[in-house]
Amino acid sequence: MTQIKYMILASRQGKVRLVKWYTPYTPKEKTKISKELPPLILSRKPKMCNIVEYSDHKVVYRRYASLYFICGITPEADNELLTLEIIHRYVETMDTYFGNVCELDIIFNFGKAYAILDEMLMCDGAITESSKRDVLSHIHSMDTMEGSDQLERITS
Amino acid sequence: MSSLYAPTNEDVKQRLRPFGIFFEKSLKDLIKGIRANNETPEKLNHFLAQALSECREEANSPDFNLKTNAVLKLTYLEMYGFDMSWANFHILEVMSSSKLQQKRVGYLAASQSFYKDPDILMLATNLMKKDLKYTGTDDVVKVGIALSGLSTIITPPLAADICDDLFTMLNSSRPYIRKKAITALFKVFLQFPEALRDNFDKFAAKLEDDDTSVVSAAVSVICELSKKNPQPFIQLSPLLYEILVTISNNWIIIRLLKLFTNLSKVEPKLRPRLLPKILELMDSTTATSVLYESINCIVKGHMLEEDDYDVAMQCLDRLHTFCDSSDPNLRYISCVLFYKIGKINTAFISQFDKLVMRLLNDVDVSIRSKAIELIEGIVDEDNLQNIVLVLLKQFVDQDVVLLQVGGFETTREIPIFIPEQYKIKMVNAVIHICSMDNFANLNDFEWYNAVLWDLAILSQDLSDKSLGYRVGEQLRNIMIKVPSMREITMTTIIKVLYNEEINNHLPSILKDCFWSLGEFSSFIENGDDLINLVFQRRKYYPADVEIILIPSLLKIFSNWCNRSTDIDPERVKSVLSDLLSHFEPLCYSKAFEVQERAVQCMEFLKLASEAMEQDTEGLPLLLTDILPSFFNSYELKPISQGTQQKLQSCISVDCETPFLTEEELQAVLNQEENENDEGLFSEDLLLIDDSSSASYQNQDYDVPDESKANSEEPNVLDNEELESRKRAERESNPFYLSQNNDRTSKASTQLLDFSHREADEPEAHLIRLNKNTNGTEDETERKRKSKKKHKKRVHVLSDEVVVENKPQSPTLSIQSLPTNASSSRGKISLRMPTKLEKFDFSKPLVSPSHDGTSDARRQSTSGEQDELERLRRKFETQQLEANETLENGENDEETIIIKKKKSSKKKKKHSSSKKSKKKDSVDETPKVSNDTVI
Repeated sequence: MTQIKYMILASRQGKVRLVKWYTPYTPKEKTKISKELPPLILSRKPKMCNIVEYSDHKVVYRRYASLYFICGITPEADNELLTLEIIHRYVETMDTYFGNVCELDIIFNFGKAYAILDEMLMCDGAITESSKRDVLSHIHSMDTMEGSDQLERITS
Repeated sequence: MSSLYAPTNEDVKQRLRPFGIFFEKSLKDLIKGIRANNETPEKLNHFLAQALSECREEANSPDFNLKTNAVLKLTYLEMYGFDMSWANFHILEVMSSSKLQQKRVGYLAASQSFYKDPDILMLATNLMKKDLKYTGTDDVVKVGIALSGLSTIITPPLAADICDDLFTMLNSSRPYIRKKAITALFKVFLQFPEALRDNFDKFAAKLEDDDTSVVSAAVSVICELSKKNPQPFIQLSPLLYEILVTISNNWIIIRLLKLFTNLSKVEPKLRPRLLPKILELMDSTTATSVLYESINCIVKGHMLEEDDYDVAMQCLDRLHTFCDSSDPNLRYISCVLFYKIGKINTAFISQFDKLVMRLLNDVDVSIRSKAIELIEGIVDEDNLQNIVLVLLKQFVDQDVVLLQVGGFETTREIPIFIPEQYKIKMVNAVIHICSMDNFANLNDFEWYNAVLWDLAILSQDLSDKSLGYRVGEQLRNIMIKVPSMREITMTTIIKVLYNEEINNHLPSILKDCFWSLGEFSSFIENGDDLINLVFQRRKYYPADVEIILIPSLLKIFSNWCNRSTDIDPERVKSVLSDLLSHFEPLCYSKAFEVQERAVQCMEFLKLASEAMEQDTEGLPLLLTDILPSFFNSYELKPISQGTQQKLQSCISVDCETPFLTEEELQAVLNQEENENDEGLFSEDLLLIDDSSSASYQNQDYDVPDESKANSEEPNVLDNEELESRKRAERESNPFYLSQNNDRTSKASTQLLDFSHREADEPEAHLIRLNKNTNGTEDETERKRKSKKKHKKRVHVLSDEVVVENKPQSPTLSIQSLPTNASSSRGKISLRMPTKLEKFDFSKPLVSPSHDGTSDARRQSTSGEQDELERLRRKFETQQLEANETLENGENDEETIIIKKKKSSKKKKKHSSSKKSKKKDSVDETPKVSNDTVI
């Protein structure tokens, strides 16, 4: 199947901030994963590795400030280090976009966070756009287009 | 611009942050509301329910802004686990909005929620088609959004519809569109593989695109596709190799390596070209992820041959440095890779024992647990005890690891919680490494007995109750397989039985313990006490233990009352009545098997006790002869697992032919009348078997190996202490082992038939039984024994070959990597029912070389085309055959007229060679086309 199965952003309190599913789980499975995973990840010590085996797949996570970025990946098919790299790239991109990103940015602009993620991870998590510049420029051009939409609204 | 109209605060805000502002307020309200109502779950639930019902109303409103707003909020709420599939039609409406912003929200919501609903997907198809129409530069973003959304919404009909559009987009002047089109094509190919088949070259050309991100996307897509069906992409390997050699982008390199991994699995010819390059890459790269992927590629791409030590060492050396790194992730992944390399050939990793031992003590339990899987590869006779010791030491709830902090000499103690799962894994690992290859690594079974005892104690607290079976199984195995250790193992078993805690918490261990007790109860002198002990405990036993226990009790009883002549009949009587009263309730057991066995024993014992009443002189024949004959006919020997089942399949039962013919039957009947009760014991037949099988006992003594005897490691478990502890245990144990003279005297009481067998068989037992007490033991035997004791090298019986043994797997069998895989497969159906896996790319390939029709024409009707093709081929071969017969006919004619047979033969040969050539060429044609089309 696809490489990245899902991406969950969870706060230090275990609250889910962003979820993107790349594999069609049933709602039941989804709630199960998003309920079980954050506590599991949170319970890990800082000295431990960022790869966890969870049910039938592996989970790679990384903590940035108060947010945990959690990725479910396909074992055997995926490069764990690369996944960490992708997470990092995502955070970097958001950081540039929001300018020193913080948890609140993601909460209130979750649409944007999704858009960036969509630009980076395509085809159910199989393809990654590695160029930060490219991603940002497309997001910006989209934003400008939307801006002009609004301009039309205002002027009309 | 602001001068054109008077801007309100809102307007300024909107222009300052030109996105999301539309609905920002209300989404913000929602989020703030959630945060404000966070105190109690009830409050939060109340708030969320309220918000949801608001959304419901808003979504129904005709105002598009309000609707979009609602959809956005719903998307947010979906993260909290609220189903939003009811709003799918509203989402569709929002998606169709002409405003980009609303469209974006719509697509976002769609990708989060749509795949559940096949109906909505049908409706979405038209919308998608419209949105994908690329009309001008302004549409870039719109098309981009649509293309992104496509991946979630794609269905086979949609895929077939839009694939032409997408291929046109591949030639767009904008790299962004090209890239998006490629990613969208990925999904199309999965649904509609024909598209790939027919446009393979067009697609492959994107590998040479000017824009790196387009190349990256193309490589990624091919990589993903090759996971499902690598065959068609093999022909691209020269091109891909070229990219690998030239490109410097690590992301793409990793993708390429992955791709080559998939290709190399099916095309071994790639190995000689790729391997040097990958090794070179490993030397040159600085990125760990590339290094990791290179090794991954070598290992998973079947590029590492079983005897290729050079490459293996190169990889392992890298991994070794990874393992020394302070980054736990590196340690973890290299552990996993180590395992995979070890799986190819265990010998590769055997020298890394020190490393594995270190990893076993890692700070991170997940790394430890990976390292446990490696143990099998490094274990050998010398380090076994050490490894087990390391593992056993970790059976604490909190382990402490000393860690160096910073560059200073200061160390910090880091407490580590040892999870139960890990403990279970350790128990399994200990058992596995000790017992693997028929106890090949184990040379001290006394030590192993102590270990098993420890494991039994430790397993009580673990939730996995099957551990009891495993420990019990080990006890039983050494009981059977290591004849010289039976008495020691017996003490362990009795110890287990004595321990009320284990009885209580881990009854599963008792099943095999009871079996062993029964089977080897000749070692026990005071079986009556043992039986009594069992009665005290019996309240604990589940049915499956009870099943084993019933015959075991009978065996113990049988051995006990035949132990010596001077047994007190009164005592026998009382034990007998105890047994009867024990079996009584079991006759009404809910478990059928228990019931049946109990009834069987009951009836026999009833007869026996009646006989006891009548017979005042000694024991009745029922107890002295018949009862032992149930069990002692022949020694049980180990057979490999599954043999019994195989045997069953081998046996064909002839139910037709009678055993005896009429006359024979008559003869037998006559004979029977004459012989009376002499024919009572019909086990004569079995006895023949015994005498031959009993001889194996003599093999028990291996030729002692002096050199090994001296190399006792001092750091291993304190053997000395262990010994003494065990001795004390044995002495304090009421079930001390029976003595030599018992055995001989017992033999004398036996019937003639039996004493023959007995004398032959237990020679070895006699000596061993009386280890410390018997002075009459002859000198040479004692010598042998003492040597054996030093060396601890014991003969282990191997499995008996009854039927053909199945070939044993040569490499690691381990506890196969924690069961991953499987489950996710079946579920994925709606979103990505890919047809690619089973798609046969070779099918239509025959066509072009034959008829040369253009790609475009073939595209539509492949089914018909196929049929046509088949016909065409058929015609062709027919034609060929016609030609052939024609030729042959000519030849024949010629020979008839002119020459003799000889020449005709020649010509026939000639013609036949022609024929075969022709045939070859027929076969060849589709192959050639194979290469050209795809």
